[in-house]
Amino acid sequence: MALLCRATVLQTQTHLCTNAIVPLRNFSVSSPLQQIIKLSRLQVVDNSAIGRAAAISGRPAKCIHVYNKKGVGTLGDKILVAIKGQKKKAYIVGVKQKQKPFVPRFDSNNIVLVEESGMPTGTRIRVPIPSMLRGKEGDFTKILSIATKFI
Amino acid sequence: MLRIPIKVTARKLPHAGGRGSGPQGRINKMRKLVTALIRHERIEGQYQWVDEARGYAERLILEAQRNGDTHKGTMEMADYWLLEKDLVHKLFKVLVPRYTNYPASFTQLWSLGETFPGRPVPMAVLELKGNPWPPVVPKERDQRNSLVNILLDQARKDYRQQKYESIAALELNKQSEQQTSNIDDSSASTS
Amino acid sequence: MNFSLFCSALVVPCRFSNTLATKLVERHRKSKLASHTREEAETKDTTVLTAPRDYKFVYPEFLPDPTWWKRDRIREKLEREDMMRRRSVIEIPEFYVGTVMAVESSDKYAPGKKNRFVGICIQRGGHGLRAGFTLRNVIDGQGVEVQYDLYNPTIIRLEVLKLEKRLDDELLYLRDAPQEYSTVPFDMEPVVLPPGIAVPINTMKVKLGPRPWHERWERQELKGVEDLGLPERFYKRAAEVAKPWQKHDLMRDYRLAINEDETEEIMTDVYGKMQGIETQQKLRRRQGPGPAK
Repeated sequence: MALLCRATVLQTQTHLCTNAIVPLRNFSVSSPLQQIIKLSRLQVVDNSAIGRAAAISGRPAKCIHVYNKKGVGTLGDKILVAIKGQKKKAYIVGVKQKQKPFVPRFDSNNIVLVEESGMPTGTRIRVPIPSMLRGKEGDFTKILSIATKFI
Repeated sequence: MLRIPIKVTARKLPHAGGRGSGPQGRINKMRKLVTALIRHERIEGQYQWVDEARGYAERLILEAQRNGDTHKGTMEMADYWLLEKDLVHKLFKVLVPRYTNYPASFTQLWSLGETFPGRPVPMAVLELKGNPWPPVVPKERDQRNSLVNILLDQARKDYRQQKYESIAALELNKQSEQQTSNIDDSSASTS
Repeated sequence: MNFSLFCSALVVPCRFSNTLATKLVERHRKSKLASHTREEAETKDTTVLTAPRDYKFVYPEFLPDPTWWKRDRIREKLEREDMMRRRSVIEIPEFYVGTVMAVESSDKYAPGKKNRFVGICIQRGGHGLRAGFTLRNVIDGQGVEVQYDLYNPTIIRLEVLKLEKRLDDELLYLRDAPQEYSTVPFDMEPVVLPPGIAVPINTMKVKLGPRPWHERWERQELKGVEDLGLPERFYKRAAEVAKPWQKHDLMRDYRLAINEDETEEIMTDVYGKMQGIETQQKLRRRQGPGPAK
């Protein structure tokens, strides 16, 4: 989808090159599916300094890779993000997309940053996270241990 | 529930309100047809339009019957669908009493066949039941008392009479012949 | 040729391929198989309690999906029986969009195997056993929505904390409104209404935040929203794409809804069964929580 978007942008830009006025954006930036894909902007919800700095600077973390075969991130998936000029691994702990019954849907796409070793960068998660993530095993338990509230 | 069979999807009727008039034109055409039906109690038109208008007329009468003239929504509908406002009175004061405890549909649709000459367009007649007009399909006339039929009946009767008489005469002849032969036989045996 | 014969050949009453032949129906009506069922139906009608006319707004999920190719009378009836069976076990209260509710559902990961969520009902829909609703709340500055199936067996308890209606059928615009409009405390005490009172309507008008929004709210006729304060071109476009003819389209309404006769039949059936269930529930409430808990 992102590739498709890019292609249309290039097309429109080349088409509009001859015109005197080139609009800033000639394509829709709405995301009706609200998927977490490459180039999606995400909100860091732990109390790490880097996450807060990114939020203040107005350039939130950007997804640059999703570690699954679909390329669309969902609850509990691991992704790679670009944040403050660094590459960081992160886990998705809340999504905006429509969910199945009994699974909460959030108003923003939330992530928790982790180090290469699998340890979370922050020490506390500021927002509630879905209860169904408690079934996850492996490195994810480290994230669950810093969560404050489950719904 | 409507007492008529309806199509599961509505006809779009793109040209009903004139070309390019869209769905608003379609509704306007339907309003004209419903108004005309309530006014004249019998209308003729294209089958497609008239059949579509039939549903609206049925529903309007049904709602009026169910909710009465004190219901705000029904009155608003009647006001919208009847372009001539004296017909609102007719709907509630004439048609609703006419169709109280009426088990069947309020309207009747008759197919008229296609127009000729020219482009064939299926036509139809839509009428309110219990209207004052003569019936669309006339009753079969009683022609027993016409002169030709009376003469024919009499001729038939006469012919049959003749037939009976001739048969009776034949029977009589047979019987008399038998009797004479019997007498001859008995006389022969005694001698 | 006889004149009347000529006429009847040309002018014939319309026949529809989707209706049964009258002759066939008459034969069925006269058959012995049909006669006893008809008598039974006639005798039933005299004893049955008729539901109040607004009953369909209290329990809208009992009405089946009006889409014609999804209708199946037998399945609908069986589903209604299943719903009644569920209602005799768990108390599913009367609620509307705008009501503040608490849902307790079983959660195998939670310490007490239970999960409780409180929120405003922003959407209600579905038919039969697939009926559901959506609750919205703001927790720690984070908007959260959970969709629930009304007849899911994992629901332990449904509680109405504040019974009220709002001006709109859906409150999805709360997503674009400031967070205080959809914030409900988790430890909210239930508001008890005096008995016999009509369900109060909350006429609060919501002031939406700035654009961009989830939907083009100016194109929807929302009653519970303050003036959106958009430039003139938005309203002009909204007027262009509006469909004012649909408001009075009687046959459109008829096709998109279960008709009144059928509604009455279904609701009478529901009303009769709900009377028994409600008396059982009252008894259970008076006895207090049983040993099963």
